[in-house]
Amino acid sequence: MKLNKRKRYIILLLFPIVIAISIAFTNSTTQKRNITATLLTKSTTFEAGQNIQLDFKLSDSVETELFLHSSYGTTVITPNLSDNTQFDIPDFMANKKGRITYTLVYKSKGIASGEIKIIATTEQKVFLESYIGPPSIIAGGRDYTMQTVLANDSYDNPIADSTKVIMKHQFLDRIEERELYSKDMITWTNIFSYKQSGRMLLFSKVHATVSKEFSVEVYPSLPENFEITSKREHIYADGNQITEFITSIIRDENGNIVSDGTMVDFSIKDKSGLLLHTQGKTIEGKAVAKMLHPSHHEIWQIKGYVHGMAESNTLLLEYEAVLDDFNVQFTNHNREIKVGPLISFMEQLIPDGAIVKMNIIKNGVKIDTKIESSSQGLVRFILQEGFYDTGEYTIEISALGVEKKYNDIRLK
Amino acid sequence: MISWNRYIYRIFIIISFVGVIVLVLFGISQTLSYLNTGADRSSMLHLALNKEQIYLPKIVWKDTTNPGRPMEKQTLFDIEQDYLNAWYIRNAAYQTNKNEGIEDYYTKSARKNIDSTLQFNKEQGIAIHSTTTNHTIDLDFYSADGQLAVLTDSNVKEYQRVYRNETMILETEIKSDYQVLLMLEDGFWRVRHIVKEESKKQDTIIESNGFAKTIDDIIYVENKEYQIKGINYYPQKTPWDMFGDSFDIKAIRKDFDILLDGGLNTIRIFVPYEMFGKANVEVEKIEKLKQVLDNAENKELMVIVTLFDFYGDYSVLDWTLTHRHAEQIVSAFKEHKAILAWDIKNEPNLDFDTRGKENVLAWLKEMKHQIKQYDPNHLITIGWSDIESASLLQDEMDIISFHYYLDQNSFTDSYSELKTNIQKPLVLQEFGLSSNRGLWSPFGASQKKQADYHQQFQEIIKQENLHYMSWTLYDFEEVPSAVVGKLPWRKHKQKHFGFIDREGNKKPAFKFIGN
Repeated sequence: MKLNKRKRYIILLLFPIVIAISIAFTNSTTQKRNITATLLTKSTTFEAGQNIQLDFKLSDSVETELFLHSSYGTTVITPNLSDNTQFDIPDFMANKKGRITYTLVYKSKGIASGEIKIIATTEQKVFLESYIGPPSIIAGGRDYTMQTVLANDSYDNPIADSTKVIMKHQFLDRIEERELYSKDMITWTNIFSYKQSGRMLLFSKVHATVSKEFSVEVYPSLPENFEITSKREHIYADGNQITEFITSIIRDENGNIVSDGTMVDFSIKDKSGLLLHTQGKTIEGKAVAKMLHPSHHEIWQIKGYVHGMAESNTLLLEYEAVLDDFNVQFTNHNREIKVGPLISFMEQLIPDGAIVKMNIIKNGVKIDTKIESSSQGLVRFILQEGFYDTGEYTIEISALGVEKKYNDIRLK
Repeated sequence: MISWNRYIYRIFIIISFVGVIVLVLFGISQTLSYLNTGADRSSMLHLALNKEQIYLPKIVWKDTTNPGRPMEKQTLFDIEQDYLNAWYIRNAAYQTNKNEGIEDYYTKSARKNIDSTLQFNKEQGIAIHSTTTNHTIDLDFYSADGQLAVLTDSNVKEYQRVYRNETMILETEIKSDYQVLLMLEDGFWRVRHIVKEESKKQDTIIESNGFAKTIDDIIYVENKEYQIKGINYYPQKTPWDMFGDSFDIKAIRKDFDILLDGGLNTIRIFVPYEMFGKANVEVEKIEKLKQVLDNAENKELMVIVTLFDFYGDYSVLDWTLTHRHAEQIVSAFKEHKAILAWDIKNEPNLDFDTRGKENVLAWLKEMKHQIKQYDPNHLITIGWSDIESASLLQDEMDIISFHYYLDQNSFTDSYSELKTNIQKPLVLQEFGLSSNRGLWSPFGASQKKQADYHQQFQEIIKQENLHYMSWTLYDFEEVPSAVVGKLPWRKHKQKHFGFIDREGNKKPAFKFIGN
């Protein structure tokens, strides 16, 4: 028993000593060791698509990870299974142009870091993306379109700066070639319009890769002033025939015929200063507009405008009155008034539709106006009893510019 | 009996009839509402996007002259918005490993590269919390048809935290230059190419005008040694809401006189993050803060301004918004002679458990750099809630502040231990005792006890030559729940820390407000 007790004391004494020693020992092993690492891989510039392997030398064999930061994102990779210091950069990073920052991580601490550079492949095969804009420009050499080419390698990286790019364009009988060098991911050139209008075809080429054909429409420039003429069947103001106004071929300053559909507005000023309007759109540079003849003697001043851009000369047209006088017959206690026959310039009956206007005046106050159009040269007005009381009236009749006045017409 | 049965049948029939009708109506309405679901047509116009600004790193357009075409103001704005959104969406995608929204800001061929990285990260269980804080942009090219732009974004500061299976592997800050090609597609400026280039530029170091500085453990203001004798200040009527609608500069001015009479020279005030307008600080709040500071300057009081009060997000994606908040406030007052220091956040260590220690510390560290960048003239500190946390981020701070509400008798020991570890000015930024004896705490301290407490603390302060700021001038009527929670006894305690009671009478402790 006694011995036992002593043993127990010894054990009790030994136990903490052992624990103390073991704690001290484990402390020293779990202490963070100062691990250093150096990159063994010599080259730091790679072509896109190459297998990139980074190999590190560690001062002690520990588990590490590699943090990678590239153009499109960040990731962390673990070493190849075979060896714990070799890292294969995954394809999605190794294929993209740009810098990759790496940090070798051991226990949340970076122990080595640096950068590798990936450049576009120098393979001949490239992919072209062309952008042409604006797609339509104006002739004359002031306006231009821009041809922009993105040349990418087979991994969709912009090709290296200063790669030669050929850009060509054809216009009418010209073919022009330009030799350009890529910069800032793109290659671009401005193509100014020529004097003529028409369609320009464009194309580009890098190494052996050619782009498809692009076209740019070159529209005529702004119209220049033009001439107008008129065409009419006769000179009489019969209110029935049509006069046409015709422009000369409208051209821009370089002699290009303006685009079809250019709107020409004809503005007509009559004797009394009123303005009439008619319009026409150009076809092959010519615009035609129409206007009904006036129904009384008239002098028109006509001018054509392409608003804000061009105008024409002023054209003067005179229309002669077709009749000097007409008959008026009062019947049925003056309640039926027959006007006509209205005779035109050759003594023919005026075509149907000529306007005859009658003012009915009582005691100096106009009480009604009746308007009728002629049929077979005649117009008939009826003053019904219910509307017009018996009494003295003054009647005014006007037709085709001639006015007649009858005083003291008595209605029963 | 028969009639009873008949009634039962009748009731049964009526109820089942009503039930069937209800079911049929319910069915019809469900079908109709199902047919009405689906994408809202207006979503085609992308109008809802860009509504709220969620990503606001500092962006500077250095130069927009380019050989292609003069840049229009509106297009510049559009490009900036979409380019920043591209970064935000990308950061968010790497955090969750979902490619939501990527297709809006990256063209089809650029998208593939992000998708494959996301795929890889997802398989490996890697999540990356990242944000960019600075962008300096040069426009290299803008095409004649306004559909293509190339820009160089230099000195992009990217903060990243990498997790594998939710354990953090690495925290880094990388500075890079990028060249980016953007194309206008569907009304979005989308990234077509982005190439990381060698970062060439160095950070410009912003020189301080030397207004406030520290050498070893001494604070100097305009080259004179400065000893903080201060108090945490809220007006009596508006505790925790100093700059709200009932802002009263006259009352504040009167309080300043009381503090000066008490022998104090410094106050600590609080700027609440949300109330000041978050990322877009309201002008009238800045104006109110200016009034307070101007008056303090007149009375020769110095002010420690505590920013980000009641802020609690800290997530990496929220950083840029807080940076803009700090920028607007801090740069408005960088020359102000009343400010002694910016206190980045009050007691951020209390958020360690809920928000993650690494989140909070990383946010604080970056915020310090942000504030220094806009105001190198004033000092920076953090108001740690206990003495143990005071050594955190000590290398980043100009002065070290801590709060002490524990047993007065053990203060000297804890303090001298801290003092041996830190060679910077130490500020006892909050201490005090609530004279809250009453219904809610029958064993609470009396006003006499409070006075004894302050008397004793003033002796320690004298002995140790301490910078001190007590809590607080007034007893308050109301304490918002956001401060100490909803429990009435806790609120009650917080109401009685003052040197002056609710009626405006000086409590016995007022004798020991300063020395």
